[in-house]
Amino acid sequence: MSTVVERQIPGRYARLMTSLLRGTLRLDVWVNRLYPTDFNPLYYTGGLSNLFLFTLVLSGIFLFFYYDASLGEAFASVQYITDGVPYGGIVRGVHRYAADGFIVGILLHLLRNWFTDRHLFARDNPWISGMFLLLFGGFIGFTGYQLVWDERAQLLTSMFVAMLRSIPAAGATLTRLFIGGLGISDGTLVRILFLHIGPATALYAFLWWHYVRLRHPKIWPPGVWVLFCVGLVFLLAGAVPVTREAIPAATPAARPTSFPMDIFFLIPFWLLNFLPAGVVVLLLVSLFVGGLVIPYLSRRETPTEMGVRHSGVAQVIDGNCTGCELCYYDCPYNAIVMVPSPGPGLSKAAANRSLLAVVIESRCVECGICIGACPFEALELPKFLERDVLRQVAEAVQA
Amino acid sequence: MTQTPKVVGFICDWSVDLIPLSDGGRLRALPNVRVVRVPCSGFVRPEWLEDALNRGADGVFVTGCPYGDCLNREGNFLMRDRIDQLQRRLQRRKVDPARLGMLAFGLHDGAAFLAEVKAFADRIAVLPPAQPARTAGRPAVAQPAGTPEGDRT
Repeated sequence: MSTVVERQIPGRYARLMTSLLRGTLRLDVWVNRLYPTDFNPLYYTGGLSNLFLFTLVLSGIFLFFYYDASLGEAFASVQYITDGVPYGGIVRGVHRYAADGFIVGILLHLLRNWFTDRHLFARDNPWISGMFLLLFGGFIGFTGYQLVWDERAQLLTSMFVAMLRSIPAAGATLTRLFIGGLGISDGTLVRILFLHIGPATALYAFLWWHYVRLRHPKIWPPGVWVLFCVGLVFLLAGAVPVTREAIPAATPAARPTSFPMDIFFLIPFWLLNFLPAGVVVLLLVSLFVGGLVIPYLSRRETPTEMGVRHSGVAQVIDGNCTGCELCYYDCPYNAIVMVPSPGPGLSKAAANRSLLAVVIESRCVECGICIGACPFEALELPKFLERDVLRQVAEAVQA
Repeated sequence: MTQTPKVVGFICDWSVDLIPLSDGGRLRALPNVRVVRVPCSGFVRPEWLEDALNRGADGVFVTGCPYGDCLNREGNFLMRDRIDQLQRRLQRRKVDPARLGMLAFGLHDGAAFLAEVKAFADRIAVLPPAQPARTAGRPAVAQPAGTPEGDRT
């Protein structure tokens, strides 16, 4: 009874999420009128982000060959890439705009999966790894702006150092670690270069975690969207060159006070206009931690409140399993593994099996797709038995 | 010529919201359509569809989320493929493929869903009556009486 009452008076968060879900689905319906559903870009936000990341890696490798991480040479080497290297300016622009596309893609991916409840229950691993991907992606973008070592980079560095210093107890140590000594030196840019490339490599480790339970992850968007996005990035890089901002090189004497904004990566630094550094650090940390606990603390989490029935982890009926691997191929969460069969099954079809399906309970989301895959009645959802479905079918036909 | 065809629908919990549409297992707007709720469209075994036809249903359909947007990532694609295969298989037994359908609608697409189900039922209504049903229910393959459980195919 209590659950019924609770469902009638949902909390403010639940009502907000319900309206966001409705809005997301309405947007989908609208986009589906423009495209066949297989090409709806909103269904491929993850794949689009991965595409941008791949573009970033390739263009980044190109830029790395020419980049010189020292205070005197960094800006000159970036200038040389832009003016001296054939198509260098284009590649630089591609690196810049693909980074914006990457952040937009993962933010869309995050919001979509949040609003459609795809972060709950057994699906918290992609959410947690996704929060790390977002954190690292943002940090990589920030260090990327520093590598150019113009006046913006200089100002960003001093702002970031102010933020680090505001952290109680560990602030001074962190600052020394970040700038590599007591003051900014050649070592600083080497560290920043490492902090640009190291976390970018770590992104792939997090992506492995992100994909680990997915059987056929949608890693790439449909071909037309690949062409469209890569083309768009190249067009932007040619039409709006990154050098239009014309920021002078950093010099120890310069005291820059403003710089052109990038709304995707530099918002925390914009906040420093209004808030003390300590508050901004606190805000960022609480945003990150808040993001991590979303799947666990939201009021909509309990299945009864969401009106979801609990059908139980899929169970293999040993005697009927023939080891045919159909469920293994169809499970979208890699939750079924085939092991060497310890002995023959009971049914005639299973008598000569060499494999046996085993469900990894921690990966199962109780969707029942393996039940539909199995032609041998060797799988059941414990609280949603085939017997009951067939009884419902019989009643439906006879009624 | 069936005037009001008996239709059974398997509806995924995450696709069309059935609460405003259905009443005691049948659609309010189309009382000849009975619905069975399943946790995912991929949960449906093709043999259950076959079983429903054998028991006397005139048409069976499965509804999942829009393609590409399955909550469980792939359930509706898998089910679409399975229904394609089942249609080919049943065609050999002279069952019209129009009697099997795969629909894909989101949570709030109730109106579009009803229109599609109505079109599905209308397509079936003009078909010639189905062959006399085979042995009602399972097993589809006749079993000799008294076969022990372990020897069933």
